[in-house]
Amino acid sequence: MSERHLEIFFDSLLPLLKAGVAFTIPLAIISFVLGITLALFTALARLSNLKPLVKLAQFYVWVIRGTPLLVQLFIIFYGLPRVGVTLDAFPSAVIGFTLSVGAYASETIRAAILSISKGQWEAAYSLGMTRGQALRRTILPQATRVAIPSLSNSFISLVKDTSLAATITVTEVFQTAQQITAVTYEPMILYVEAALIYLIMSSVLSYAQSRLEKYNDRYHAR
Amino acid sequence: MLEIMNLKKSFGGEQVLKGINLSLEKGKVLVVIGPSGSGKTTLLRCMNLLETPTEGSLSVGGLRLDFSPGQKLGRNDVLSIRKRTGMVFQSYNLFPHRTAAENIMEGLITVQKIGKEQARHHALELLQKVGLVDKADAYPFQLSGGQQQRIGIARAVAMDPDLLLFDEPTSALDPELVGEVLKVIKFLASEGRTMVVVTHEMKFAEEVADQVILMDNGVIVEQGTPQQVLRQSTNERTRSFLSRLNEQRDI
Repeated sequence: MSERHLEIFFDSLLPLLKAGVAFTIPLAIISFVLGITLALFTALARLSNLKPLVKLAQFYVWVIRGTPLLVQLFIIFYGLPRVGVTLDAFPSAVIGFTLSVGAYASETIRAAILSISKGQWEAAYSLGMTRGQALRRTILPQATRVAIPSLSNSFISLVKDTSLAATITVTEVFQTAQQITAVTYEPMILYVEAALIYLIMSSVLSYAQSRLEKYNDRYHAR
Repeated sequence: MLEIMNLKKSFGGEQVLKGINLSLEKGKVLVVIGPSGSGKTTLLRCMNLLETPTEGSLSVGGLRLDFSPGQKLGRNDVLSIRKRTGMVFQSYNLFPHRTAAENIMEGLITVQKIGKEQARHHALELLQKVGLVDKADAYPFQLSGGQQQRIGIARAVAMDPDLLLFDEPTSALDPELVGEVLKVIKFLASEGRTMVVVTHEMKFAEEVADQVILMDNGVIVEQGTPQQVLRQSTNERTRSFLSRLNEQRDI
C-alpha cells in the first residue's frame, strides 16, 4: 500500500461512515421494526381459524419469498411510477425490505409460537385470560426466546441486503463506495472498506444477539 | 356450587363422556377415580371449558350453560366460567419465564387488574401458605416437581375461584414429593374450599373426600361417600378397579 492508497482509505472513511449512519443503519432498523410487526400479524393470520386471513397470509409469503428482493425493489421504485405511484428512493427501499422481512420472519414467528406447549395456553386460559392476553403475556415472551437466533439472522442479513438499495439510488454505504471509486479508480480499497463497515455492523449485532440470548436464558436450565 | 346434567363429550366420532350427572355443594370435596381412559380428566376439563361439552349442561357458582352439538359458546360465558374455576395441572404448567411469585401474580394482574404491589403482597401470603416464601424469586426450573406443583396450586388459589379443579396433581411427581403436595390440598379442603380432585391416591381420597365417584368408559359407575365406594362397594367394576390398584401397589 502506498501513501496515496492510505490517503484514499482514510479520506473515504468519513463519507462511508456518514452514509452508514444516515442511510444504511436507519434503513435496516426501520425496515426491521416494521418488518417484524408485519411478520407478527402475518404469523397470527396464518394461525387464526379465519380461512380468508390464512389464505391472504399464505399468498403474501408465497409472492415475496418466491421473487428476488432486487426485482421487488425495481418494481417498487421504477415500476410503480408507471401506474401513478411515485415514491422517493428511501421509502421505496423501506417498503421493499419491510415486505421481505415480514414474509421470512413470519415463518420464524409462526414456528416459535407453535413450539410453545399447549399446556401454557391452557394455564393462561384457566386463569381467565382471553386469547389476546394469553398470547401477549404467556406465549409471545416464550416464543421470542425461541425466535431470537433466527430473527437475529434475519436482521444481520437485512443489514447486508441494504446494499441492494444502491441500485435504486439510495446513497447508503455501498452506493457511496461506488461513487468514490468512480473518482479515485480504486475499487479494491473502496469495496474492501465498505465490506469492513458491513462487517463491523454485523459484529455489533452478533454481540447484541448473544447478550440477548443470555438474558433470555435466565429462566431456562442449561 | 357445581351441577352437571347429562353431560356428553365426543372427540370425532368417539363418545368419551356418555351422560354425566353430578352435583357438589359449597365447601365439599369430590374425588374422581377410575382407570385411565375412563374420561375423568375430560370431565374435569369440561368443568372449566378447556374442553367444550357436546351436550348437556354445566353450572358453576350460579352460572349455568347449556350445550348442544355444533353450537358455539359465547366468549363471555367461557371467561365467566373460567373466572369461577381454578385449575391445577398434572404437569404443573407453570409459566417458565416468570418467577414463583410472578406466576401467582399473573392472573391477579392480567385478569383481575390488581396493582403490582398488591398482587405481590398477596402472592407472598400464598407462598407462605404453601411453605415456599423463600422461593418467591426462583424460576420454575430451579424448583423440584413438588415445589412447582405447590406454586401451581397457589396460582390457582390466588384467583379465589368458587371451584378448584385438580387434574392428577401428584401423578408426575417422584413418590417422596407426593406428600408435600397432598398436604397443601388437604389444608385447602380444611379451609372449606370446594374442590374436584382427579387422583389415584386412594388413601388421600379416603381422608379428604366428602364424595367419591368412580368412572369407567365415560360413565359414572358408582358414587357415594369414600366409605361406600372405597370400602364397602359391591359393584363388580369398582371392586376390580380397586383390587388392580392394590396389586400395582404390592408390586
